[in-house]
Amino acid sequence: MLSESARMSSAAEARFRLPAPATVARTITISALDPAADDVVARLAEGRWTRARFFPSSAVAARAPRVLDEIAGADLAVMVATAGADASAAAAIGAVCSDRRVHTATFVVRAAAVSDAVLSRTLGQVRPWSLMVVIANDDTYVEDMLRSFRT
Amino acid sequence: MLKQEQNDLLSHSGPDTPMGRLFRSYWLPALLAEELPANDCPPVRVKLLSERLLAFRDSEGRLGLIDEFCAHRGVSLWFGRNEECGLRCPYHGWKFDVTGQCIEIPSEPEQSTFPSRVKLTSYPLVERGGVLWTYMGPPEQQPPLPEWEFATVPASHSFMSKRFQECNWLQALEGGIDSSHVSWLHRGDINTDPLFRGSRGNQYNLSDLRPVFEVVESAGGLYIGARRNTEDGRYYWRITQWVMPSFTMIPPRGNHSVHGHFWIPIDDENCWTWSFDYHPTRPLTEAEVAAMRGGRGIHAKVLSDGSFRPVANKDNDYLMDREAQRAGTTYSGVHGFAMQDQSLQESMGPIIDRTKETLVATDSGIIMCRQRLLRAAKALVDEGIVPPGVDLAHQRVRSAAVVLPKDQPYKDGAREALMAQPGVAPASV
Repeated sequence: MLSESARMSSAAEARFRLPAPATVARTITISALDPAADDVVARLAEGRWTRARFFPSSAVAARAPRVLDEIAGADLAVMVATAGADASAAAAIGAVCSDRRVHTATFVVRAAAVSDAVLSRTLGQVRPWSLMVVIANDDTYVEDMLRSFRT
Repeated sequence: MLKQEQNDLLSHSGPDTPMGRLFRSYWLPALLAEELPANDCPPVRVKLLSERLLAFRDSEGRLGLIDEFCAHRGVSLWFGRNEECGLRCPYHGWKFDVTGQCIEIPSEPEQSTFPSRVKLTSYPLVERGGVLWTYMGPPEQQPPLPEWEFATVPASHSFMSKRFQECNWLQALEGGIDSSHVSWLHRGDINTDPLFRGSRGNQYNLSDLRPVFEVVESAGGLYIGARRNTEDGRYYWRITQWVMPSFTMIPPRGNHSVHGHFWIPIDDENCWTWSFDYHPTRPLTEAEVAAMRGGRGIHAKVLSDGSFRPVANKDNDYLMDREAQRAGTTYSGVHGFAMQDQSLQESMGPIIDRTKETLVATDSGIIMCRQRLLRAAKALVDEGIVPPGVDLAHQRVRSAAVVLPKDQPYKDGAREALMAQPGVAPASV
């Protein structure tokens, strides 16, 4: 007789898994931290999303309470930064998210020519406020990331 | 989550599939060298990338990996006689050499040239670092032999094992990239396993269950950094390497050996988990090797019937120990790092349905890994671009455990530590 583990992990038993995925009503905000990141965020905003809100760097830099309140009201705050650019706005988002216990993730887009020293400056600004940092050369990974979150 | 077509693409590695073509760009571990221990020893069945093959070592020590079945009537050549520089089918005596070339058909006239026009599919098989490697791609694109550091150190410095894993290769690989599970699933073993215990890094691991992750693209794949605070205001980084398609290297602890895995598809619902341990600057001790053979560290004790199936497997519920689970000596109730991982990965089913998962930010390494694989497969199929990981420079890497200032990119601060350096000890805490 097959053990329970052998029986239940078979392809035949996989047919009886519930067809619907778990209900996840997760809201995600995506904020640009600098003007170059605005292009990435604006392009993303043109896509079809169910629970995503997008903010340009100007909105974040102004630190308007309404904007920060909306960002901190999400389940995940994604920030997009450009390596070498001023990412000090991360502190504003990070502080409100820290207060409200909202997870933060920052995507740093790094052009091939950007040196480690330049990247280091940006990292120094985003690290204290990010529970997850992704550094990649290609900004199209940001959309892949958001799609993976079923946003 | 992935779309169904993306999940299918990543999970299927048979001939003429995009991932199959990607895997066929690399030298892959096929057998342990000890599986073909002597000239004219018994042949061994090998299934890789959904192809049934047969490996043998001929009378002069040449290695061959050929189609398992005789060209004549489809008999398995596993029943063949390995003699006088060839494998002879016992059914009608057809004989094949290590290249798959038919060299004799007894029923043909003596001077017949017909045998020279019969050839089985074959792949090169070469020994390196105690492993027999094969390349299953187009011969004209065969890359140089692999240069993973574990395969280049003296034999006494390294140990390799393999085990049969009953699930798709990708869900096994994803476990290797998912650093966030270590502080949970393996917490009962970090301080007790003889191949892990006693390092300062363990205390950082266990005292901070919410590490912060940093995923960085590397030339060959990804660096996955997990950082924790140190007592002096710096960061303790554990940096895992993933190199395409399925090589991972786990950060070391103290002066223990460094280790890692390959996950190689057998077919779409099974894979080989290869596990290596090595130390660049010293031989492994007898105690270390005994522990590895005994299934400690990242290795598993396997059945002695040649199947390489773990002793704890799904047929015996992985020897689930609810008492140990309650007592906390093992967090999941399954003993040993290897089977803790394998039991959960197999419980997902043969191929996990990734359309239904709910990923979170700490899964970013897994997300990036999938996307890099999808892009590499597309670039290979559409444009013939050689995928990352083929270049030998991508293989000369190490994982590392380091303490760095808070503002320093670990890719910068650990630059040398992340490269293989002959004769230099690994960066470890």
